[in-house]
Amino acid sequence: MEKQNQPDLGKQDQQTSELTNSLQQKLDYLTTLRQAITAGDDRLIYELIDGDHYHQALLNEEPNPTRNAQVDLITDVHPAISHYLSTKLIDYLAHEYPFFYYEETQAGEFQIYFGNWWDRRRFGKLNVLNVAFEFSQEEFTKLQQTFELAATHKRYNTDNIQKVSAANDELQKLIDAQDDRDAEKDQLRQQLKENGQRNSLFDSGRIKEERQQIIDQLTKLADADEQANNAHATMKDNEAKILTLSKEDTILAYEKQAIENSFKSFENFNERNRSLYVDYLTTLIGKAQVAADGE
Amino acid sequence: MANETKKIDAATLSTHGKLAMFNEGLKKGLANGEKFTALMDQLIDTTDGEVLLTAAQKLADFKLDSAYVTFPHQYKNADYYLIFMSRLLGMHADEQATLHTRPHSEALYHVFDALSDDYTFLYQVVDGDNGGAYYREQTTGEKLFYIHLERRLLRFNSTAFTNLFINKLLLKGTGVDQINTVLATLINFGHDLQNDFGFNVDFNILDVNNAARYELRQADLNGEVLDKLFVLAAEHDYMLRNSPSGHGAEIELPGALVVDVFDAGAPETAKWVLTVRDSDQRVSWFDVLLHFDFMRDWYLGNIEALEIKADPLVFA
Repeated sequence: MEKQNQPDLGKQDQQTSELTNSLQQKLDYLTTLRQAITAGDDRLIYELIDGDHYHQALLNEEPNPTRNAQVDLITDVHPAISHYLSTKLIDYLAHEYPFFYYEETQAGEFQIYFGNWWDRRRFGKLNVLNVAFEFSQEEFTKLQQTFELAATHKRYNTDNIQKVSAANDELQKLIDAQDDRDAEKDQLRQQLKENGQRNSLFDSGRIKEERQQIIDQLTKLADADEQANNAHATMKDNEAKILTLSKEDTILAYEKQAIENSFKSFENFNERNRSLYVDYLTTLIGKAQVAADGE
Repeated sequence: MANETKKIDAATLSTHGKLAMFNEGLKKGLANGEKFTALMDQLIDTTDGEVLLTAAQKLADFKLDSAYVTFPHQYKNADYYLIFMSRLLGMHADEQATLHTRPHSEALYHVFDALSDDYTFLYQVVDGDNGGAYYREQTTGEKLFYIHLERRLLRFNSTAFTNLFINKLLLKGTGVDQINTVLATLINFGHDLQNDFGFNVDFNILDVNNAARYELRQADLNGEVLDKLFVLAAEHDYMLRNSPSGHGAEIELPGALVVDVFDAGAPETAKWVLTVRDSDQRVSWFDVLLHFDFMRDWYLGNIEALEIKADPLVFA
């Protein structure tokens, strides 16, 4: 027998015991998680699924990736854990953010709806595992601008609505001016006829020029006529546009109102969103404390 | 057969035969008249509801004239509906609809104390096989309801109520109280028919029952129509919310009054309806239109979509 094939018993023992240790740690990790779920200890679950974040955020400790050594073991059950944790989290959020509504579109995935009014907006997602809102950037920006514009007593679409309304006023004027245009056209046609009857060898250049001017004016009037003919359809489109814009303004006004009712200001709202993880976990710790004291 | 034989005899034979036939015709005509007056006695004097209804029913189809006897003074068949309605309301102590006679004629009509005399109401009998009659306002021609005494049914018509009481009266300055007085009498009539005779009554836009589902003209309602209400309501400090009844919207008005507009149809076939809920079940959609200006503006502004459907068999 050759030497290399001789198992180094001492070394192998060490490796084996490392392996069994490592597996034991995994088992311990999973056992603890299972127990936490059975016991409904959501705080512990949060600590287990992202210990590093937990220790940094709640205990002000330095980052240490080894705290998350086992978390990859459970990535495939994240949706189920998210679903499990959502119950208590959404109860909490319903109280803190009474204007948000959630729909679980698939296991563990939650869409956020803002408000319960007609055609409320889908506002993003709730990340249950991170205890964080992931707002849709587009929707959030609109809301942010609504708050900014409020200082100037404007709504998000005020300028747009004014623009479209003005366009409609112009179209209405164009329609109203049909009689004037008709009279003008009659006059120009008369002039054109007279122009055609004049025949002068010496002045032909001027007559030609005059004729061209009349024709240009008539063309311009014909264009205006055509615009007026299409105006009703355009005005109807514009009215639909105004309705869409007004609806959006109404929705944004309700959203702004809801945030002010609960948080006084948009800044406070954002502040609270940033500290949501800590706030929620603190509440869970507090509850655990009360439960422990009660025993 | 016997009659025919007699006829031939009369034509070909004796004067006596002719006289006898004439006399016979006269007797029949007079008997017909007697029968009429007996029914008329019942119609104007009986205190028994069923007797009243039967008399009205018979008189509504009665042909008073016969070949030998004609009566120069007569009421029209439609008038017996009016008399019946007045009598029934009177039996229930509702005297709001006053029965008038036109001078120098036998034509009858209703006027309401609460309304100007410009508005006169009378029945228009339906020609043809269906029968029945419409209760119609004369100057506007609005048919407020359809009644069929024999089939015992009554159908109110939302379009006529909206046109007459809102467009013609409310928007031209008639008070809601006055309008309500008239509505109350018409509704009473419906209830009397229902309670006394078991009529099948569709109160339509006047139905105060919370379970009443007013069907909208546009079965597949365009979302824009609700967008308009959403914006309009917000301008009046009301909020249009998502409907708890599925796809749709609801709005809460003062007095814990909730108007719900939603799709009550099947997945493939939309059927948008409107409901009005209040704890006492005393408010109809029509009441909402009378009392809330912005709801009325919305309804009238989108009437081609929102109009409440009346029974299509009698209000095509």
